[in-house]
Amino acid sequence: MANNGFSPKIVGFLCRWCSYQGADLAGTSRIKYPPNLVPIKVMCSGRVDPSFVMKAFEMGADAVCVFG
Amino acid sequence: MAKPKVAFYWCASCGGCEEAIVDLAEGVLKVVEAVDIVFWPVALDIKRKDVEAMPDGSIAVTFINGAIRTSEQEEMVHMLRKKSGLVVAFGSCSHIGGIPALANLTDKASIFKKAYSTTVTTVNPEMTYPQESFKVKEGTLTLPKFYDHVYALDEVIDVDYYLPGCTVPTDLILNAVTAILEGKLPPKGTVLSPNKSLCETCPRNDSKPEKLKITKIYRPWEIMIDPEKCFLEQGLICIGPATRTGCNERCISANMPCRGCMGPTDQVTDQGAKFLSAFASLLDVTDEKEIQKIMEQVADPAGTFYRFSLSHSILKGKVK
Repeated sequence: MANNGFSPKIVGFLCRWCSYQGADLAGTSRIKYPPNLVPIKVMCSGRVDPSFVMKAFEMGADAVCVFG
Repeated sequence: MAKPKVAFYWCASCGGCEEAIVDLAEGVLKVVEAVDIVFWPVALDIKRKDVEAMPDGSIAVTFINGAIRTSEQEEMVHMLRKKSGLVVAFGSCSHIGGIPALANLTDKASIFKKAYSTTVTTVNPEMTYPQESFKVKEGTLTLPKFYDHVYALDEVIDVDYYLPGCTVPTDLILNAVTAILEGKLPPKGTVLSPNKSLCETCPRNDSKPEKLKITKIYRPWEIMIDPEKCFLEQGLICIGPATRTGCNERCISANMPCRGCMGPTDQVTDQGAKFLSAFASLLDVTDEKEIQKIMEQVADPAGTFYRFSLSHSILKGKVK
């Protein structure tokens, strides 16, 4: 992730039933991926409120992803 | 026993909040009987220096309406905070920013340019703009500093209670005054209005179908509004789902959708985002392009969803 020293902080909202399991699987399969993503487990991606996204940006996230 | 002292002050506001006190009608007599009004610029000739001379904490309660946008307003509210036991933010503007806080979508330079130069009715060839100080032969004239941002009251001073609404409904004012006089006060920071959404008390709630399905958005002047049916069902943007009740459904009774002046309920930090969340779930389409087509019909989304609450939102306004 060497982009002139810039390393983005990414907040990801992950659905407990699909994408979070995917992230778990990546972990148990020992697949390496950069630590820039902060995963937040939600019970459904439909649970994600616009204010969560805004709050993440307010707290300094460079990007916000919703997986589901 | 001396009567408790009460003060009223106005900042960036329209004067409607002063009107609300006049609207108490004979109710005001009860208030005046129980308290001494020691400062109220709109009605009483008491000057700033008179307030300065009052001992700290000598005013039992001060009601402040309007948002904070100039240095004079900031100085006055700091002084009133020192002189008062309780400070109540009165009305939408001091509670959550109100209409004046929509100025946060732009900046001071653009506001001055529009107001003093580019408005069609303005003739200002010499480009005379307000100055904070100006020398004339008699001395130096000064004006308060105009800030680049409009603040809600609690962004500037510590606030004890909030009376929401544009303007505050008279029954809420009387309840608040009675509670203060009887010393039956809720915890500090309480918004003195029921913590429920407007939809819960809306007279049209019963007519609302099981599932609202919006396919086209209308502005109030574009259609004949059915006086019985839920506004959202008619495709009109009604901020009711994300707005606190307590307003006695004044706008709804006048066949106008809610604009959100009472602010959000306690559980919500960002009224506009919450409304967007509620509203998006009502669109009766799933295709992304179709969703975009409907959302493009919203004229001025920031000004509509955050009409009163921009200062207290996460959005805050333009990045300066």
